[in-house]
Amino acid sequence: MPRPEQKVIQLTIDGREVQAPEGMMLVDAAKHGDVDIPYFCYEPKLGQPVGACRMCLVEIEGIPKLQTSCSTPVKDGMVVHTQTERVHHAQNAVVEFLLVNHPLDCPVCDKGGECPLQDISFGWGLGRSRVIEPKRHFVKPLALSPVIAIDRERCILCYRCVRFSQEVAEDYQLVFAERGAHTFVSTHDGHPYVAPFSGNIIELCPVGALTSKPYRFRARPWDVEGAGGVCMLCPAQCNVDFTVRDEKVMRVLARNPPHEGVDDGWLCDKGRFAYQAIHVDERITAPLVRDGGELREVSWDRALETAAGLARHAGRVGALVGGQATNEEGLLIGRLVRDGLRSADLDCRVGGAPDLGTARALAAPSLQATVPDLEFAHTVVVVGCEPLDDAPILDLRIRKGVRRRGVQLAVATARPSALDSNAQTVVRYDPGEEAALLSGLADELEGSGEPRSSLAKLLRGGGEDVVIVWGERLPTDALPALLRVAQALGLADHEGAGLLEIPAFANGRGLREAGVLPFAGPGYAEASAGRGAAAIAQGVGDGDVTALYLFETDPLRDQSDAGLWRQALDRAGLVVAHASLLTEGLREHANVIFPADSYAEKEGTTVHPDGRVQRLRTAIGHPGQVRPGWWAISEVAKRCGLDLGVLTSPMAFKQLVQAVPFYAGLTLEEIGGRGVRWAEREAASAMPDAPGDVGRNSDMVRENPQTSAPSSNGHLRLGTYRPIWASPEVEISPALQYTIARQQAELSPEDASRLGISSGDTITVSQNGTSLSAPAVIRSGVPAGTIFLATGTVDDSANVFTAPDVEIRK
Amino acid sequence: MKILFDRIDEPGLNTLEVYERRGGYQALRKALAMAPEEVLQNISDSGLRGRGGAGFRMGQKAGFLPHGEMDKYLVCNADESEPGTFKDRELMQKNPHTLIEGMVIASWAAEIDRAFIYIRGEYEQQAEILEVAIAEAQGAGYLGQRILGSDHSLTLVLHRGAGAYICGEETGLLDSLEGKRGNPRLKPPFPAIEGLYHGPTLINNVETLSTVPHIIRMGGTEYAKIGTETSTGTKLVSVSGDVQRPGNYEIVLGTPSREIIYDLAGGPPEGREVKFWFPGGSSAPVLTKDDLDLAYDFDTMAKAGSMLGSGAIIVVDDSHTVLEVALKLAKFYAHESCGKCVPCREGTNWTVKMLQRIEAGEATPMDLDLMASVQTQIIGNCLCVLGDAMAMPIGSMVEKFRDELGAEIESARERARAGDLQDVIPLGVADKHAGPMPVH
Amino acid sequence: MSALGRPAVPRFAHGSRVPGWDEAVDLQKDPAVIPDLASTAVPDDLRHKIEQAMAKYPEHHSAAIPALHAAQDVHGWCSPEAIDQVAAVMGVTPAYLTSVATFYDMLETEPRPRHHDVYVCTNISCSLRGADDLYEAMIAAAAGHADVHVRAFECLGACDIAPMASVDGEYVGPLTAEDAAQIMEDLGAGREVLAEKQLRYRKCADPGVAEGADEFSPPAGPRADTAGLEDE
Repeated sequence: MPRPEQKVIQLTIDGREVQAPEGMMLVDAAKHGDVDIPYFCYEPKLGQPVGACRMCLVEIEGIPKLQTSCSTPVKDGMVVHTQTERVHHAQNAVVEFLLVNHPLDCPVCDKGGECPLQDISFGWGLGRSRVIEPKRHFVKPLALSPVIAIDRERCILCYRCVRFSQEVAEDYQLVFAERGAHTFVSTHDGHPYVAPFSGNIIELCPVGALTSKPYRFRARPWDVEGAGGVCMLCPAQCNVDFTVRDEKVMRVLARNPPHEGVDDGWLCDKGRFAYQAIHVDERITAPLVRDGGELREVSWDRALETAAGLARHAGRVGALVGGQATNEEGLLIGRLVRDGLRSADLDCRVGGAPDLGTARALAAPSLQATVPDLEFAHTVVVVGCEPLDDAPILDLRIRKGVRRRGVQLAVATARPSALDSNAQTVVRYDPGEEAALLSGLADELEGSGEPRSSLAKLLRGGGEDVVIVWGERLPTDALPALLRVAQALGLADHEGAGLLEIPAFANGRGLREAGVLPFAGPGYAEASAGRGAAAIAQGVGDGDVTALYLFETDPLRDQSDAGLWRQALDRAGLVVAHASLLTEGLREHANVIFPADSYAEKEGTTVHPDGRVQRLRTAIGHPGQVRPGWWAISEVAKRCGLDLGVLTSPMAFKQLVQAVPFYAGLTLEEIGGRGVRWAEREAASAMPDAPGDVGRNSDMVRENPQTSAPSSNGHLRLGTYRPIWASPEVEISPALQYTIARQQAELSPEDASRLGISSGDTITVSQNGTSLSAPAVIRSGVPAGTIFLATGTVDDSANVFTAPDVEIRK
Repeated sequence: MKILFDRIDEPGLNTLEVYERRGGYQALRKALAMAPEEVLQNISDSGLRGRGGAGFRMGQKAGFLPHGEMDKYLVCNADESEPGTFKDRELMQKNPHTLIEGMVIASWAAEIDRAFIYIRGEYEQQAEILEVAIAEAQGAGYLGQRILGSDHSLTLVLHRGAGAYICGEETGLLDSLEGKRGNPRLKPPFPAIEGLYHGPTLINNVETLSTVPHIIRMGGTEYAKIGTETSTGTKLVSVSGDVQRPGNYEIVLGTPSREIIYDLAGGPPEGREVKFWFPGGSSAPVLTKDDLDLAYDFDTMAKAGSMLGSGAIIVVDDSHTVLEVALKLAKFYAHESCGKCVPCREGTNWTVKMLQRIEAGEATPMDLDLMASVQTQIIGNCLCVLGDAMAMPIGSMVEKFRDELGAEIESARERARAGDLQDVIPLGVADKHAGPMPVH
Repeated sequence: MSALGRPAVPRFAHGSRVPGWDEAVDLQKDPAVIPDLASTAVPDDLRHKIEQAMAKYPEHHSAAIPALHAAQDVHGWCSPEAIDQVAAVMGVTPAYLTSVATFYDMLETEPRPRHHDVYVCTNISCSLRGADDLYEAMIAAAAGHADVHVRAFECLGACDIAPMASVDGEYVGPLTAEDAAQIMEDLGAGREVLAEKQLRYRKCADPGVAEGADEFSPPAGPRADTAGLEDE
């Protein structure tokens, strides 16, 4: 869809000539002329203005009544007055009316000092009140959710929070109840407002009515400082603003102004509240070494010496890098493993590995869609991923496109998606059958005949700007077909169209580009082939791999086939890890654990799924004996006989830019605070081409052997997903205890009634002698014959299952 | 002259049989034989002004709708909730087919194929009667696909409200019809451009639409000869309050108000005289007995500082105090304020509290200035007209009956001092002051 | 009310009259998402009515009010259970419906089993003719009738029969204090309420409505204006 063109027009505000894009709301245009118009309810992020607060009334020549400047698009030649007596009268009136019932408890209000109502009363109010009627009083504060407190005395009914719930997150749980002066913000029948994005309403509230329970009374605005950063808890990599007091992160806000290329100004609750994991007592803040079966705190020297034992396993070291690692850390680990330990067995992915050609083809700059493309495309197709779980903020972006710009959405997933109700076309297939779906689609699109499937019809006839959102968890055998679809649709070199991959982990894309792959070096350069994640585990079993290097990852959590990994960890002669939390695999098996720095402490770069290189900057000092990851890696390397030549993080960045040809010339200044998409830079042409014909004649083997449709009683096809909340940071954050992901078995109503299972029943799911039990959840959208289980959960993760079918019993 | 009320009590007029016997749906045949533009021209020529309250010319409003293929809607506002107004009720109950016929014609004129009647929830009988009439009209081919063999199609759905004054406001009505809370919308965009389901929408009152068949029957220019130059036609007037014969009367616009109140409705009870009256529902600024000789039409009422509104005259005689009426009024508007915009929500609420303070003997004459000032702070600053609908009459009462209100303040203070008003809570002491509750 | 019959200043009572203002959520509850129809029991006829209503509109949300009316007819009020049922059929969140239900006066959101509704109009025109006393009388008469719910209501659009009331949708007036007891009796006996004062039998006040009407004759029997309804 062509983006609206902006024509600059000229208008007069209070006698000043102001230039602004045509159609911009007057209240925003006024800022171009340094004219400040007060408002409460207006917030462009929320969509259409509502004009409820009446604070922004101005006089426009030619219109008899005062107009709300939040809802008046500017036109050429418009003459506006904001300083007339009429306007002042209206502004005084609104402030006076707001204070009829708003309590003057600013000294004990959390919003005090950063409160728009305070500021506007001071700036535009009469300065005195004629209200002698006592204000109303209620019990306060009250719980609205486990993380949000509501103070209904303070609420000025500006509509921001309810509009967010209804029109942005579209969870429609938060509403106004009653009418008139009795109106209040409420949920249904005392249910808490628990939703993935609920925390945004705290930030939207222009008074102290909605406050964050974790932040309440922790600091005053003048006690704190803000530090821009990037949230590394998922691939969405939202731009955040850490509120820091005394070297501690006190809260996380969306960075202002909103970054349209990344998060559009929103955060999910994981990003907003899981910062608490940075400061928990359980955090590892000193090096640990296993001594007599127990992990004990030791000096860095001792820990590094123990880790130097890796050198004795040279050629037989397998390394896994977790998603919170920076590009620099990835690069240095690659050098350590390849050059120092003479091994090619390293990976940052989950599951199987594609061949180099396919990987290059999928990463080709010409084929990459951007986040804003989601909003302006003709059609967005979501294939084999759940944005809400995998990169939550993209879920909001897709909804925005559908709601505000008429984007046509197609969802093709095995499991019912949160986006189903927004989609024009929903395609369900059996878990693991992505390859069949995509090659079928490719056949249809390549053929000259009329497309038969609704998806193909939509793609053929619905406009050429198509964005395909897909997940790294897509089986590798489906990737060639995905490329065929992209080619058939002509997505390459097409502005506003392309593929957008959601990696399995936060910096998945950057780590691959930095060469943390078993089949490619930095910049997708050819490299001697090594073992991927799954093969490393296998390799330990076979005795070919004898030591494991785990950088900020716990394979029991993050990888598939937990059983195999448990054996591998058990068998490995040496397990060296970098971690900030003691997850199960590390607690039981690691020999050395270096304390890892958090995303608020790290310095380095990371790559957003759409290729935007972003900077992590140190917001708070490293606590305890925590040292930067790049330093720890280079110390390990040094003791293994390799000098990485890195004394600072920028030196590591420089090595990265030299190693990755398509980053050539990139500087930290250029990346700046907003990041830069490398695909848009000239150096992008240095991305190595994929060998021709990739994807067409692939001889890759299917990972999931075709099985017959499940039929016999109790046998169901298993599909898995990783819930947004399934992460150690969530589990350890006090504020998020309510939302820890627990295993649940999602069944279709048909299977449930056939097997006599009702919602809430505990059922046992088993396969090849491994089993787990979980409460049953009956969902209408689940196709009969399938069951869905979560992975990444603290207990009972479905990554113990490896075959496609499971058996269930009540 | 009776047009809308012509033989309105005839038994069975609500049935298709009687309606047709009396020449019903002939105007529709006539209209369908014309081009839509011609029908619209007739409506414009008639000078018909909206009978719901705003008095906007129907022809002009229908002309705002864009042409061409798109989803457009016609909505009949049958929410009749302005206090003192009950004319649409009688029309719908006794002659529902005129409304249906009017809607089919209006939809043809504006090239609309989907229509709704939004009837207030309290009108259960009238809704039942309309349901039956719609089904009859459907069966006889006056509604549905290719009406009477023409190119015009119309589906008509009756939608019942659930009790909210604000749904009489056209954009509040649209939100309510879309299944939401009946909150008024920002204008612009006006409904003619973006209304129901974001489509261009023509909204008219029951009486307005019921007049349309008569305009077609008589011809627009002929209809315009009735009444005054700017207020053409006849108008149903609901007269209520302190009169001997409250009820609906059809008058030619421009009839002297005294004739309506005294000759038709019988004037106030024996021994009483008119103290003040609302000429157009409770939202209209009040007029006094000095204004009784004004002609009852749109412009004269506006010139007198009030409005014809929905055509509902409420008469208050000298047995009632201004304070009593003002408090009733303010409470009503505070109750019906939707709560969306600040001046209306807080202003109506504050006004109630101030009036209660007067009643409780806690006010001083200075409070009348405050009250008048608060009303000016509401007028013109709200999202819709509800705030103004309270502020204008209350403001007019303070202005016109200042002496009486001042005396009321003094006498209430006297009573309070004498201890008659015992349950007044001293200022500043809260009866309900809960401490903070721990947040978990 | 004070001893003098004047209202007390309800200034502090303002908010506490409103149910919900002082209520926190129950953190033990799950969030109220769209209920799954697969696991929500909805009476068949209610489901049918809601689906029928949804089919009448281009956008099915429009059916919210008709659907809530229907659910209220079944449950007596818009109980959380009733709202869950409507939400499941309509595919909306319960909060959406709660928000709508609490906005409108005719939708009950306080616990009330199936009952008779008596709305006494206390707006200006009725009040000028004694509606406030009538309301008191109605309240007094309804004492002891647990199944009758008397409410003061805003203008019901029948000022010609002021003071008046709507009894289960039947408009009656002009009423006296004595009529209140009769209404309760009629409701108790399950017969037509105050038959002689029903609005439906009332003729137009305008003396000119019969002018020049040769064939015009006064209504033959009662219910003239609703003739034909029975056949449908």
